[in-house]
Amino acid sequence: MPDFSLSEEDRSLQDLARKFAKTEMAPHAAECDRTGRFPEEIYRKGWELGLMNLNVPTEFGGSGLGLLQQCLIVEELAHACGGMTTSIIANCLALEPLLLGGSREQKGRVLPPFCKEYHLAAFALTEPGTGSDAGALQTRARKEGDGYILDGEKCFISNGPVAELYTVFATLDPALKHKGITAFLVPRSSPGVHAAKGEEKLGHRASSTGSIRFDGVRVPASDRIGAEGEGFSLAMRTLDQTRTPIGALANGIAQAALDHAAAYSLKRKTFGKPIGEHQAIQLKLANMAQDLHAARLLVWHAAWTIDRGASGTLESSIAKCFASDAAMRITDEAIQIFGGYGYMKDYPVEKLLRDAKLTQIYEGANEIQRIVIARELLASYA
Amino acid sequence: MEIVVLTKPVPDSESRLRPNATGTALDTTGLKFVLAGYDESAVEQALLLKEASPGTTVRAIAFGLPARADEALRASLALGVDSATSVEAPPDTPVDPILTARALAHAVARYRPAIVLAGKQASDDEAGLVPSALGEILGMPDFGSVVNLHWLADRNVLTFDRATPDGLESIEVPPPAVLALQQAWNDPRTAKLPMILKSRRAPIDRIPWPDVAAALGEGAIARTRPVGFRLPSARTGAKMISAKSAEEAARELVRILQEEANVFP
Ligand SMILES: Cc1cc2nc3c(=O)[nH]c(=O)nc-3n(C[C@H](O)[C@H](O)[C@H](O)COP(=O)(O)OP(=O)(O)OC[C@H]3O[C@@H](n4cnc5c(N)ncnc54)[C@H](O)[C@@H]3O)c2cc1C
Repeated sequence: MPDFSLSEEDRSLQDLARKFAKTEMAPHAAECDRTGRFPEEIYRKGWELGLMNLNVPTEFGGSGLGLLQQCLIVEELAHACGGMTTSIIANCLALEPLLLGGSREQKGRVLPPFCKEYHLAAFALTEPGTGSDAGALQTRARKEGDGYILDGEKCFISNGPVAELYTVFATLDPALKHKGITAFLVPRSSPGVHAAKGEEKLGHRASSTGSIRFDGVRVPASDRIGAEGEGFSLAMRTLDQTRTPIGALANGIAQAALDHAAAYSLKRKTFGKPIGEHQAIQLKLANMAQDLHAARLLVWHAAWTIDRGASGTLESSIAKCFASDAAMRITDEAIQIFGGYGYMKDYPVEKLLRDAKLTQIYEGANEIQRIVIARELLASYA
Repeated sequence: MEIVVLTKPVPDSESRLRPNATGTALDTTGLKFVLAGYDESAVEQALLLKEASPGTTVRAIAFGLPARADEALRASLALGVDSATSVEAPPDTPVDPILTARALAHAVARYRPAIVLAGKQASDDEAGLVPSALGEILGMPDFGSVVNLHWLADRNVLTFDRATPDGLESIEVPPPAVLALQQAWNDPRTAKLPMILKSRRAPIDRIPWPDVAAALGEGAIARTRPVGFRLPSARTGAKMISAKSAEEAARELVRILQEEANVFP
């Protein structure tokens, strides 16, 4: 039988994240959403408490948490603000290719500074011409001397406008398709790197998302991650690790929506009684609770699967896809329960819907998750 | 220098409290226990002293049922205390502040600390008796409402202020002493994630209840017994003002304040 109990250690990590979310993040969530401000001071505090770089092993100065513990933390943070959470976990995404494919020398050189001081990194895969079809990316890496020259453009990169280090995926030859893609570490300070300002977005407005152009950027061979042509596989294996926390992030947003909706339904009166006593509202709340419970169990199960050493491609795709779709349903119903107030920016629920939407798109759009799920499913019948 | 901090496990203030079935005490089933808020200030003070005087070690001691005491102790370890002792409470009989002080004194005496720090009172029962009872049992001077504590190594004295309603009273006393800190006057630090992980694996020294009971002899039995526990009754007397405009509401409010509440003549 599976064991769904959390250990005392799990709970104490949850408590830490919950307290940070409540006291440091939540009070600024509405303001950052309104203004699009990147609240660096909050991220610094989160870093000080050890809430960034959760996946970096202890031997390099990180906390070396398993994926389930990472998910518990991410859900708590996202309860306060999905956008801030995206920026807090962007380092995990950016550093994962190095954890999976980097040499000992590279890990020992690159990882400890992130754990000793506050630095941001960003994962640069998506391009203006290709998102889902990452194998068709066009950013070029030309061999020159003992290194490479990078040319091309990345877009929609979380923390792109503010990070100091990029994990960049580029191709040695587009004709090679997936097999030409190679991963590189590129400091933002390298000549020829131009990071644009953050984009205006629907949600996750406390996170900074932007384009990065590479004009003849020199990268030494010592900053190539893994072998030439291994980049696509590194990107996919990275997403296998980071997709599940996106499900947890969706759950945090959904839990916030359910909390607001349930509390409001006990206060708001129509036709002489609280709307929570009308059966139509109760059914909505019950559906929201079921959706969220299922989503959380899927996320825990995917994380547990991966923590036991499996790739978890199928489980994490199911978890991310279901949880993000559930978060859209739940935040939508939360607005409905709030009625007209739910549509107003003075109330907290419309932000949750806008924030939930991203979880269906990034780290593999849900259409792509379904392709993966169906492929694995059909393979077992073939 | 050795510092001992008394760290009480109390129900999380965010949990929903209710009386037990017999109405004699708080129902503790399923309650989450945490380090008492005022004791967090005491831990913070101990850590500040440790940082100011290298070589200082800090030990947290908690009296309670082991699972609960561990919560307070692990929270203290995560904040940075060096070691922890759990003093087990009797499993089925109630304890009172004097029994608590006796049991703690039994443990504290083992470590011969220069300073015993505690919160001024516990955030659950707010009795505030344990520190002075402990001082009495151990024959140490004890002071309450302490702020701004320092140890002057060259003269080996403790200096601190006592926050009184009229002002700050400055006191010097040679160690050892029992000092109960004014509530939340310092801003306790937050435990960091790596320390939380470390605290979960740290050893806790344990003094089982039978050992405590044997040492205390007749003193091992609480002399007082709780006979009832009620939640505070919901406040009544709120008055809603209904008016057509803000101006009318304000006028009505002023009238009530003057005529009914006699706030101003
Ligand atoms: C706020 C934000 C932050 C982001 N952060 C990062 C980041 O840090 N790093 C990074 O590299 N990228 C990042 N992204 C990019 C994100 O991962 C991509 O937007 C996403 O992968 C989708 O790619 P696309 O936008 O090019 O859409 P497209 O690939 O053009 O897809 C358009 C639509 O077609 C669907 N579709 C595509 N192919 C198929 C198919 N074969 N069958 C059926 N449907 C299909 C898609 O699901 C989608 O609905 C971010 C995006 C946003 C919005």
